[in-house]
Amino acid sequence: MQRLVASLRRLPGVGEKSAARLAYFLLGAPDELVGELSDAIARIKADTVICSSCFNLGAIDPCPICANPSRDAGALCVVEEPADLSSIEQSGSFKGHYHVLGGALSPIDGIGPENLRIAELDSRVRAGGIREVILATNPNAEGDATAHYIAERLKGCGASLTRIAYGMPLGGDLEYADHVTIGRSVENRRNLE
Amino acid sequence: MVGIEDEAIVLRAVDFGESDLIAHLLVPEIGRLTVIAKHARKSRKRFPGSLDIFNHIRVRVSRKRPGALGFLEQALLLDPFLPLREVPARFALASYLVELMDRMAPEGGPGPDMRRLFDFVHSALVSLGQGQPDLCMRLFLELRAFDALGLRPGLERCVRCGSELAPGPVGFHVADGGGICDAHGAEGLSGVLRVHLGTLRALDASLGSPMDQLPRLRLEGQALAEAREILFRFHRFHLGFELKSEGFLEESLGGLA
Repeated sequence: MQRLVASLRRLPGVGEKSAARLAYFLLGAPDELVGELSDAIARIKADTVICSSCFNLGAIDPCPICANPSRDAGALCVVEEPADLSSIEQSGSFKGHYHVLGGALSPIDGIGPENLRIAELDSRVRAGGIREVILATNPNAEGDATAHYIAERLKGCGASLTRIAYGMPLGGDLEYADHVTIGRSVENRRNLE
Repeated sequence: MVGIEDEAIVLRAVDFGESDLIAHLLVPEIGRLTVIAKHARKSRKRFPGSLDIFNHIRVRVSRKRPGALGFLEQALLLDPFLPLREVPARFALASYLVELMDRMAPEGGPGPDMRRLFDFVHSALVSLGQGQPDLCMRLFLELRAFDALGLRPGLERCVRCGSELAPGPVGFHVADGGGICDAHGAEGLSGVLRVHLGTLRALDASLGSPMDQLPRLRLEGQALAEAREILFRFHRFHLGFELKSEGFLEESLGGLA
């Protein structure tokens, strides 16, 4: 039990209480569920590959998105992590291809451009066939800086470079929003007519 | 319970546990302050957009006693210094300064000294957001950072005998904390760096210059190389290791940083 709690605590976002709660749940769960879970954990490394084109995680290379001929290969959306790609896919708003950087610039953590897949992005865009690169890194200091770094590096590549918009989240509350978000929401307002 | 209501600059914020953040803040009158922001990653309302690196914020913190971990109760964004994100060299140099402060700023020093340190960081971030930083700017800001941290090197007089340094080549001894005259430099001291008096004077003049004038000050050729070596040696002597942000800073300033 202690071993399982200690192992679960090493997972991101899992504290001691949650780890103990999960461990007790597994202890009382049907054998089938526990077996399925342990099998999935045991196989995740062997069964997961990185797409050699977009660097998304999946079961096959190239991934289903890169291999899908009906998707728009001229539009490339750059994201930090595979989870960000999944979020955009779930929105259903983008039908192009992706490029997963593997993080964002964070000099104080020792993460520079060489630690991200920026050189691969550069080669991919300069190889031609891409008319728009959408920089969808997170709207925080590191994500913004990464987007500007990439924009500077891709200058003259022939593709237009765009940044995802900022604004109020759905279900948000103006009273609790910071003034930068409110300011950008007003700047990027839409005509309702 | 000790309460703090003041402005602050975010030096660093790291995930902690399931939904919390640990933030390192630079606070006037206090210096470096470590706080925990409970549920910061889950709630959209408690600390909206306020705990990003470089952010100038207004905070309310409670602590059980001075020196203990603080609990961040409220954070209001005053200025995110957005221009720092728009130019890689600005982002790199700002990250370097903030990392230096995160490593070296004391907690709980005398109020006026901590206020001076805060004012330096705030004015440096404002200034960095207005131009295209280069190697000169890096050296001037690094020297000011050491000055604000109470580590100002002696640049006018011999730190051993107090005599005015004579024109021409002089020594700079990092362990002694500044320039030394020829008489003392010739004593066979190990680690003495031979530099020109003009270089020390230029660095000294930069310390007396208003922050917004720094981009106009120039160091060229040998003076630039000597100033770079002085600051490098001073940094390594007092810090003892390379900051993580140095690699990206070097790349961003064109491999010359």
